[in-house]
Amino acid sequence: MYKIFLYDGTFEGFMCAAFHIISEGIDKDSTIIVSKNEYQPMFIDNVREVQSDLKTFLEIRKEMIKKADNSVFKRIYYAFLSDTKDKEGYILRYLFYVLVHGKKIKYLYSDDIVNTVEKMAKNVSREIGKYMGLIRFCETDKGFLYAKFEPKNDIIKPIAYFFKNRLNEFYWVIHDVKRNKVAIYDRKKVQFLTCDNLKLKVTHQDEMFQMLWKNYFKAMAIEERKNLKLQQQNMPKRYWKYLLEKN
Amino acid sequence: MDILEKLEVLGAAAKYDVSCASSGSKREKHFGIGSTFSAGICHSWTDDGRCISLLKVLFTNECIFDCAYCINRKSNDIKRATFTPQEIADLTINFYKRNYIEGLFLSSAIKNSPDWTMEMLFRTVWLLRYKYQFNGYIHVKAIPYASLDLIRKTGFLADRMSVNIELPSEKSLKLLCPNKTKESILKPMEFITKVAEEEKNFVAAGQSTQMIIGATDDSDYKIINLSQHLYKKFKLKRVYYSAYTPVNNDPRILKVESPPLLREHRLYQADWLIRVYNFSADELFKSKDENLDLEVDPKVMWALRNLDRFPVEVNRASYEQLIRVPGIGIKSARRIIKNRVFHSLEFDDLKKMGVVLKRAKYFITCNGKTFERFLIDLEPEKIKQKLTDKNSLQRPQQLSFFDREVFTSVITGEI
Repeated sequence: MYKIFLYDGTFEGFMCAAFHIISEGIDKDSTIIVSKNEYQPMFIDNVREVQSDLKTFLEIRKEMIKKADNSVFKRIYYAFLSDTKDKEGYILRYLFYVLVHGKKIKYLYSDDIVNTVEKMAKNVSREIGKYMGLIRFCETDKGFLYAKFEPKNDIIKPIAYFFKNRLNEFYWVIHDVKRNKVAIYDRKKVQFLTCDNLKLKVTHQDEMFQMLWKNYFKAMAIEERKNLKLQQQNMPKRYWKYLLEKN
Repeated sequence: MDILEKLEVLGAAAKYDVSCASSGSKREKHFGIGSTFSAGICHSWTDDGRCISLLKVLFTNECIFDCAYCINRKSNDIKRATFTPQEIADLTINFYKRNYIEGLFLSSAIKNSPDWTMEMLFRTVWLLRYKYQFNGYIHVKAIPYASLDLIRKTGFLADRMSVNIELPSEKSLKLLCPNKTKESILKPMEFITKVAEEEKNFVAAGQSTQMIIGATDDSDYKIINLSQHLYKKFKLKRVYYSAYTPVNNDPRILKVESPPLLREHRLYQADWLIRVYNFSADELFKSKDENLDLEVDPKVMWALRNLDRFPVEVNRASYEQLIRVPGIGIKSARRIIKNRVFHSLEFDDLKKMGVVLKRAKYFITCNGKTFERFLIDLEPEKIKQKLTDKNSLQRPQQLSFFDREVFTSVITGEI
């Protein structure tokens, strides 16, 4: 019978669940880790709920970095943000590999688990890279900058920390419309909340800059080199929905 | 003229400038607005597929010079405009905080005098750095004939500076740019190189240049050879190539129907081989008046002429040998070297590692075996035919996103 571990959906929670499985020597092949929100109970399940605990999280994080290195831990984190189904299963097995192989895990190209986790992480990292450039803020009547997006993966955290460094002088809100999550920055720290309804109006000045940007975007294209296919290859359509210059 | 119209005129006038890199700056960060990102960030892609990273504008398009290939030359009857430093600073800050751009790329036609123009560029950048405490990326042109003192002052505020070399030979320069001399271009270039070597925080992201190709009869050998010198002598970070877009009807310019994009693409590839793969111009070209093969990339071209060096045994070859195999780039070569320590590699392992075998398979063996038996005794012409048959010609691409980490296959120049 499968043992089911429920966690709260956060990365910290997931790592705590993994910690229990690893430290208690539970057989990983008969274990499933699943987020509380996605779990559909069946009466024969052997279910255990794991609490998120910062101390445990930091402990396993330290262990993973010691066994491998920072880049491997970042890979694990990015893979966790992926929207791949059953990501928990792949990452759990990956964690076991890290304990066995350490740093060398980066070169196990031929292993399917390693490969899959690698791909998930790469996909997430690529999407983060794109959105660093493709998120558009507008100035609202409430005096803060506001941006919305609908990423494929759950990347609002790394995106928010990127803008914390970049737009450190401004108040801003980033809104993941698909997941109803917001990141709020008050010139000191970022907070993550859920959000259903936001009523905002952009300022008159902002409308002017929107127009300036749209015109500039058009003016920059060289007619003789027109290549819409290349444009779409670099900037796939799924990014266009909230992209000012493409609307 | 209102700001909307100015931006349209002076943005459009700057679009033939090729560089858009915003990467590689190591300027110290102070308090204030924004930051630079070491890998650079693209913020959009225009309808021609080129990326927008920086607000690329001319300070003015009113020019006292009359270069044959340039849309802004004095003899053209076009709409003219000039920004004020304040206007550009204001646009930059407002675009930046909305995340439209990564910073500013400021170029200019030469109005009044070279010194007047350079002074305006300096004032603009000064406003941004000091009045607005702007920490984003700034690329600014050094104007030929401007005083070196002004160039020096500006360089301490910029991440990157560039002087356009314009054309690949002195003869072509004389023909098409009667107002510019070789010295007027090389002198500031040399100056920037020198100061950058001596001073910290002077053009922290280095110096670049660009040249127009296809407007004169200069060969690819001449172009690549010149680039090689620029990289060696002036330590340039990048040389950009710009396929000539016919904007003027001038008898001195070679007739072109449309910009030679494929040639431009091949030049960028050859440039990578020079800069990253340690090829030399003389190796790539058989004779001195030669052009690159448009049908295959320059590494394949070179390999086909040097088949005696192949096949290379993947499990034994040195790193230097591996990166010279068509289809194996820096990343793949590194993976191969790291991985063959654990076990000897077969073609399947290479595939799983992400090595693209389409080209490589003709030039390598794994444990003595070739990819398919019949691949053993192929002649250059047959390999070339096989490589060009299926996909015929690849679409030419503007590779303007070279410096970016997200496009690792491009950054390592895997060809």
